[in-house]
Amino acid sequence: MSGGVDSSVAAALLVEQGYDVVGATMKLFCHGEDVPDRPCCSLDSVNDARRVCEQLRIPHYVLNLESRFGHDVVDNFVEEYARGRTPIPCVRCNTFTKFRDFLKKADSIDARWIATGHYARVVDGELRRGVDENKDQTYFLWGIDRGVLSRMILPVGELDKAQTRARAHAMGLEVIAEKPESQEICFVPDGDYTRILEQRLPADAPALSRGPIVNSSGSIVGEHNGFARYTIGQRRGVPGGFAMPMYVIAIRPEQRAVVIGTRDELLGGGIIAREVNWLLDAPSVGDRVSVRVRHRSPLAMAEIVRLDGDEIELALDEPVSAITPGQSAVFYDGERVLGGGFIEAARRSRSHLPVLAA
Amino acid sequence: MPIDPIYLDHAATTPVREEVFEAMKPFYGPRFGNPSSTHRWGREARAALDEARERVGRCLGARADEICFTSGGTEADNLAILGAWRALKPKGRTAVVTTPIEHKAILGAVHQAAQEGAEERFLEMTHDGVIDPASFDALVDDKVAVCTIMWVNNEIGSIQPVPELAAKAKQRGALVHTDAVQAFGKIRIDAQTQQFDFLTISGHKFGAPKGIGALFIRRGTHIEPLMHGGTQDRGRRPGTENVAAAVGLARAAELTLAECEAHCARIRKLRDKLEAGILAMIPDAVIHGRGAERAPHILNVSVPGTDSESLLMALDLRGIAASGGSACQSGSISPSHVLTAIGVRPDLASAAIRMSLGVLTTDQSIDRVIEVFPALVAKARQLTAAE
Repeated sequence: MSGGVDSSVAAALLVEQGYDVVGATMKLFCHGEDVPDRPCCSLDSVNDARRVCEQLRIPHYVLNLESRFGHDVVDNFVEEYARGRTPIPCVRCNTFTKFRDFLKKADSIDARWIATGHYARVVDGELRRGVDENKDQTYFLWGIDRGVLSRMILPVGELDKAQTRARAHAMGLEVIAEKPESQEICFVPDGDYTRILEQRLPADAPALSRGPIVNSSGSIVGEHNGFARYTIGQRRGVPGGFAMPMYVIAIRPEQRAVVIGTRDELLGGGIIAREVNWLLDAPSVGDRVSVRVRHRSPLAMAEIVRLDGDEIELALDEPVSAITPGQSAVFYDGERVLGGGFIEAARRSRSHLPVLAA
Repeated sequence: MPIDPIYLDHAATTPVREEVFEAMKPFYGPRFGNPSSTHRWGREARAALDEARERVGRCLGARADEICFTSGGTEADNLAILGAWRALKPKGRTAVVTTPIEHKAILGAVHQAAQEGAEERFLEMTHDGVIDPASFDALVDDKVAVCTIMWVNNEIGSIQPVPELAAKAKQRGALVHTDAVQAFGKIRIDAQTQQFDFLTISGHKFGAPKGIGALFIRRGTHIEPLMHGGTQDRGRRPGTENVAAAVGLARAAELTLAECEAHCARIRKLRDKLEAGILAMIPDAVIHGRGAERAPHILNVSVPGTDSESLLMALDLRGIAASGGSACQSGSISPSHVLTAIGVRPDLASAAIRMSLGVLTTDQSIDRVIEVFPALVAKARQLTAAE
């Protein structure tokens, strides 16, 4: 329970349905002075969660998962940026922190199920997208252990956000009913992730050092102040004066280079992903899936062209913009989540030509 | 929720005693006056406050003017340490001596003194949580302004020989403070024969409400006040006095001392029974501070292969309230600085469970804990083994 409306309503719905509910909030990082009040994970949020539980007359505990979270999520976040990638910490938090370490705490009190406020559904042991397409959070959930699905209850997955807020009001949870969304990464103060990198990487780290901005043919067109400050598709910090708007199309950490190009050059026809995890039986080469490469980006149709251990390659029917290493590729069959992986690279064209965008 | 909850956290706080509540009531009603007022309401309140001061003093072997009411233990600790340090700083005494097992109120105040130029000196502890005498002799010298030593440790219950240490420190010209928050009602305190200059007590640890405590300040000891404003309490603690709470504190202190012997004997017997019961079922359980002289109300146990957080949660869900290391502001638990300071292995430190007994503890409740605790431990260890 983050102290937000979704997990609070989730708890309240379960209480209403007669479950014996125990509330818990994960303490994931130090509530120090450098993380001022945030919509999620701040001290006030813990207090809100506790108040909601008191109102629901259920116990509430704060569980300290700081060191595991620091290792599995925050350290990885920093390493990924140092490698020129754009990490997605919420995926690893769900995989390792929430649905593994936190689940162990549930075991220690004989709790049979684990419930969260995610907008997603578990139906017949399958993970499905939430009813509210706008809020769907399956993009962050593909990495969990398949065996955990049978223990998951996601009570707000059947609601849309407006309904969730309405339920909060109806159940008298005024403390949290109108709390703002938490959109940013919970452990990043002010949404400025570069501050975390500056704190944790050495001052002379390549990722934070000056380097060239080059165009797709390799000519130097400018200078940047650290490639970790850039992500694929970004326009901010990209030099102007070109005939067409320019975007970051690749990051080449070994040359400390940020590559820029046109909107066309941002398109990718294929995806290579690793650390693939299946929540249903693994599909085969030649199978067609829909895929999402960024939270809230539209679904794209693709064909699986290679499956190799935990690596997968897909060919997209239509090119997709800004396929970004470090983000997730999540595979769907209709509403059902098949699985996902971390994007390793985009293929420039649909064919198998070895022209990598990154 | 379970039918019969068991409160084993008396070192955290205790319920306000009925007699105390009754004694306080008139001051929330007709006797509401401000002790600084000169009219009849004021005089009445002032008389009650002075009487409370006298009575608390008597409980400590002190005179009324040596008692300064505070908002509780933390304020009293800060007032003693910072008040004394700031008063002595101009006189060339630059060091503050303490132990690493103090309450955070002391460690925080000492750290503040260090920010203001003091040299922090930490005494060495034995594995049982007692000060190493050689370290005391080495660190308490003529540079020391204040030496502050907690009488009874709040986490493991170990007792420091405060009267002897105070006598030694006085010989070397230091001022001596002792945090007696866990000691009051458990250990004989007598300002007439013992040589401490300051002593802290906190009301809610012995049946008075939260928000009231007292600092004994030996007559003639100059301190700088922490707050500025009025002349209440001889200027040492400005602000309109909390008359009702002071009266409550006096009543609670008197009752506690009157019952001290019988109460301590009773809870010591129960604590020892609990300890023996746990050790019989869990032979490899580690009782912290076991080799030290310990206060009768505290039992701190670590079971290898468990963690406090999960165990406390499981205990609470079965109606047993205990505590772990230091609960932080968010309510999560981090390994105790006390256990770390006395050299407890990290895995054991993060498994520590403190059970503290008191007025609410009965023979039956101890029996139930002896039954439930080992069962929960066995389950926790199964899960650990399965990993």
